[in-house]
Amino acid sequence: MATKIINKTVTEFSLRITRCFFVPSKAIQTNAALFQERSETSITNVAEQLLPTIRPPLPIIYSRKLAFPPKFKAVRQAWVSNMDTVEEEKLGLIDLHPEVFAERPRVDIIHENVRWQQLYRHVSYANTKVKYEVRGGGRKPRPQKGSGRSRHGSIRSPIWRGGGIVHGPRSPTPYFYMLSFNARLNGLRSTLSAKLAQDDLHIVDSLDIPTDDPSYLEKLVEERGWGPAVLFVDDNDIMPLNITAASDVHGHYNLMPVYGLNVHSMLKHHTLVLTLAAVERIEERLLFHLNRNDAAEAGRKYKLDSL
Amino acid sequence: MVSTLGMALRYRPLTGVSSKVSKANALFNPEWTTVRFRYHADKVAKGPVPRRHGYEEKLFQGGLLPRTAFPDRALPIPTYKPKNSWNEKRALFGQNDYIDILGPSNEISQKPLHPTQLLYHVPPWLRGVQGNEYQVLLRRRKFVQKKGYALGHPTKWATLNTRIKKLYRYLNHKTKSPFWKDA
Repeated sequence: MATKIINKTVTEFSLRITRCFFVPSKAIQTNAALFQERSETSITNVAEQLLPTIRPPLPIIYSRKLAFPPKFKAVRQAWVSNMDTVEEEKLGLIDLHPEVFAERPRVDIIHENVRWQQLYRHVSYANTKVKYEVRGGGRKPRPQKGSGRSRHGSIRSPIWRGGGIVHGPRSPTPYFYMLSFNARLNGLRSTLSAKLAQDDLHIVDSLDIPTDDPSYLEKLVEERGWGPAVLFVDDNDIMPLNITAASDVHGHYNLMPVYGLNVHSMLKHHTLVLTLAAVERIEERLLFHLNRNDAAEAGRKYKLDSL
Repeated sequence: MVSTLGMALRYRPLTGVSSKVSKANALFNPEWTTVRFRYHADKVAKGPVPRRHGYEEKLFQGGLLPRTAFPDRALPIPTYKPKNSWNEKRALFGQNDYIDILGPSNEISQKPLHPTQLLYHVPPWLRGVQGNEYQVLLRRRKFVQKKGYALGHPTKWATLNTRIKKLYRYLNHKTKSPFWKDA
């Protein structure tokens, strides 16, 4: 998919070179202000009157400057869509860092990550009583000799019915373990790469939608062929009002900040939708960890009571 | 092969004869000889020969089905309610597990976080603990004795201590040390 995009844009560039303008990465937020000519009236609960969106001439190419420019891998590119209308409008094209979004997906590492997420917080509270915990059983049932019956010391010994369990579960049993820092880092990279490669990753300019009607979101997802479950990721943890209200009805549309992103959620939801700010943040974080010079300190084994 | 030869001959019964001489004659008498008159082939020809004599088939072979006392109602069974895979807990499972990677790490205003600090549903003394029962109990005793657990829960305090003592003895006298495999 990535190679097709590159070929297409090369021809488009040659035709529309007079209409395109270069936009450095820091100015993305100011460009968003251009689209807010209909600002106050958009966030009202008027389902029918969706005012037409006013945009500068398309395509607007967002040129991103990649931190730690890749030397040996080709840069990947992805479309930037909008959330203002139900129909998809491609606003532009951005570069994605291959070390984050084009890493060869390691299925075993993804599996390790999912297993870790499921297990590390699990505590088993199953419990069985040992013989001295079971009520009663302090007295010797009958004298050692003379009765002709077998000899016993207590009625709660493990061989008795109702007696204690010897090697049963003991509450609480923690299943905590920490996966290595790099295994988790590579898990994120592999999953993001797999999502992009399988056309399950979409980038939008922001999560601002015109109404808080849940049906708007349903129609949008249906129209664009995004999966039944969609995970929207933004940099900020306080999301716009409209999308929060619209997605609250359905459990399969979920909003998440960048720091909440994880392998399990990315696999559980069919489609991953990132905002431009989220892409910037994710790349910055992952590239920072890949290129830091004190990696040994970060990757050290977790020690109890050290935090 | 159906044989009709056996039907022509008469045979003398061995029982019901009073004198010993007659009985001796019944065993051996040159005037007559025993001839086979029953053949397995005849039995097979009549119909299928039953196998596994003495075996009791537990599966339903036919006949009247069991009936309940109430013909109009169905048998009581709990109504099936499928689990909601997209309730809040399940939909957002695993959120913030990578906060030490994707969260703030070197900012002065925000302190870096570790996922063990976000285990709110795990008892505080058990957060980030990895160990066997003995190690877990020692940690529990360390946390609990400061809060007057011995006064508030005397039986449980006694059980805790007994369990620790028993496990110490079992692990150190009855089981091999985990370092033995390196020796």
